[in-house]
Amino acid sequence: MISKPLLRSLIIWAIFIIGMLLLPKIFALLGFSKGNLRTLIQACYLAIFAMSWDFISGRTGYISFGHPFLVGIGAYTTAILSYRFDVPVMYSIPIAVIVTMIGGTLFFLPALRIKGSYFALVTLAFMELMYQLVQVIRPDLTGGTRGISGIETLTRGAVNGYYLAVSLMLVIAFVLWAILKTRIGTALSAIAMNEESVKGSGLSTTKLKLFAFMVSACVAGIGGAFLAHYNGSIAPRALFDINFLFTIIVAALIGGSSTIIGPMIGAFFLTLLLEKLRPWLPGAERYFVYGGIALLLYMYQPKGLYAIFWQVVDRFRTRRGGQS
Amino acid sequence: MNAHLEISNLVKKFGGLTATNNMSFDVARGESVGLIGPNGAGKTTVFSLIMGEHRQNSGSISFDGTELTTLPTHQRINRGISRTYQVPRPFSEMDVRGNIRVGLMPNSIWQMLTKRYDPDRELELALSVGFAESDLDKAPSELSMGDLRKLELARTLATNPEMILLDEVFAGLTVGEIAQITDLLQQKREAGMSMVIVSHDLRSLQPLIDRAVAITYGSVVAEGKYDDVIADEAVRSAYLGL
Repeated sequence: MISKPLLRSLIIWAIFIIGMLLLPKIFALLGFSKGNLRTLIQACYLAIFAMSWDFISGRTGYISFGHPFLVGIGAYTTAILSYRFDVPVMYSIPIAVIVTMIGGTLFFLPALRIKGSYFALVTLAFMELMYQLVQVIRPDLTGGTRGISGIETLTRGAVNGYYLAVSLMLVIAFVLWAILKTRIGTALSAIAMNEESVKGSGLSTTKLKLFAFMVSACVAGIGGAFLAHYNGSIAPRALFDINFLFTIIVAALIGGSSTIIGPMIGAFFLTLLLEKLRPWLPGAERYFVYGGIALLLYMYQPKGLYAIFWQVVDRFRTRRGGQS
Repeated sequence: MNAHLEISNLVKKFGGLTATNNMSFDVARGESVGLIGPNGAGKTTVFSLIMGEHRQNSGSISFDGTELTTLPTHQRINRGISRTYQVPRPFSEMDVRGNIRVGLMPNSIWQMLTKRYDPDRELELALSVGFAESDLDKAPSELSMGDLRKLELARTLATNPEMILLDEVFAGLTVGEIAQITDLLQQKREAGMSMVIVSHDLRSLQPLIDRAVAITYGSVVAEGKYDDVIADEAVRSAYLGL
């Protein structure tokens, strides 16, 4: 028999999936342009990266400042394979994901010895290293500072692009949710609370962290590879940008870290906010505004928008209960 | 005597401080040993060395004939040796049930993914240490020191140990709670569990142990029957400064 909390989760999932799939129709009815749909596609990819980041950092407490490193491996591998070596996309993407997972292992090594701010700084160094490497090492392959353009795209038109991105996001979200519903989710959360006590409970934290890093790298690799094939181009300055890194982190935190739906809400909120601010603040000033909003949200509810949503629902229920 | 746990010539230095100094003692299967000594004698350090939380400078620790020195903590636990801490270390954002759940987890990613939780076993463990069913949803921040010790004990017992190392298990407990924990530990003794118990509460410790090992400045100064050890000149000198 399905328990009540599980049933509630499944209902939320069903509503969310139906809502996401109907969005292009709703946009068409409201007369929004295809540009709006493209914004949503970017939000889907940001949600994938935010979920990937949250799987490590939100769960285990190992704050990664180098996630663009993993996204970059996925994007560059498939771009080089398909554009330079004519490898079909159906092979280049899985290879890119595997290579990203190998990169995730490299990423994991510092976590065996260091934690906290030191771990964050080492991961940041990974991102910077990758930025320099793609520019210097074999620019004939990576395209150097200009990157690669003319990469094969997988879909035509914004609507198809949206359905691909949203399907990818929902499948990843559901798989991560299912994983975290098992004992693994509890064990990973326990690491963030007290790693020594997890060891003292007879569990190998090395094994658990490696699993979390592999899953996170896999998701980042899938997202990076598909994004490269959606955009049709990659450039090191956009991929290994500190703003891109902070957008991933803020999306996860603003929506609600340690949840699956939170990073998705955060990604959509941030992407739409930045896009809506563009006409008034076309430059980097927009980041001040979103930084300010993020700060206010953390002060009011550090658990993010998802927690605020449930606060409102509970308040509404209490009020209704009081009236009846 | 075939030793269950055998500690030989254990030396651990922290910089210029020698915390354990050529320490040797052993524990037979099913035996309960009280490890006594004044503050700073090195009792907790020995536990940390046995569990692999610190690595000794020299000497050996073997469990059922297997040298533990090179094994990480979780492997030592999976071999059947587990400990509680002087200061309880709960998972602060998990309720009582969640804390016990972590102790019950298998050390296998595949089994974690495929095996379901065992709420009956979680409840059984919680009840065995004296929690009420209504306590299962409580957060550690809502628990008294006594309850936190019970939670720590439940999580440790969840790892299914053959030998348990109990560090100041009675500290901060009320008389009623001490009686409750004593009953539980007596049951475990009767079931054949080996124990090493560190406690400053000698009156509560005495009925729980077969033998006492007194240490001071990281070395064993006396061992044997509790009354004999307490009467020992060196022990009285270490405890009372006589």
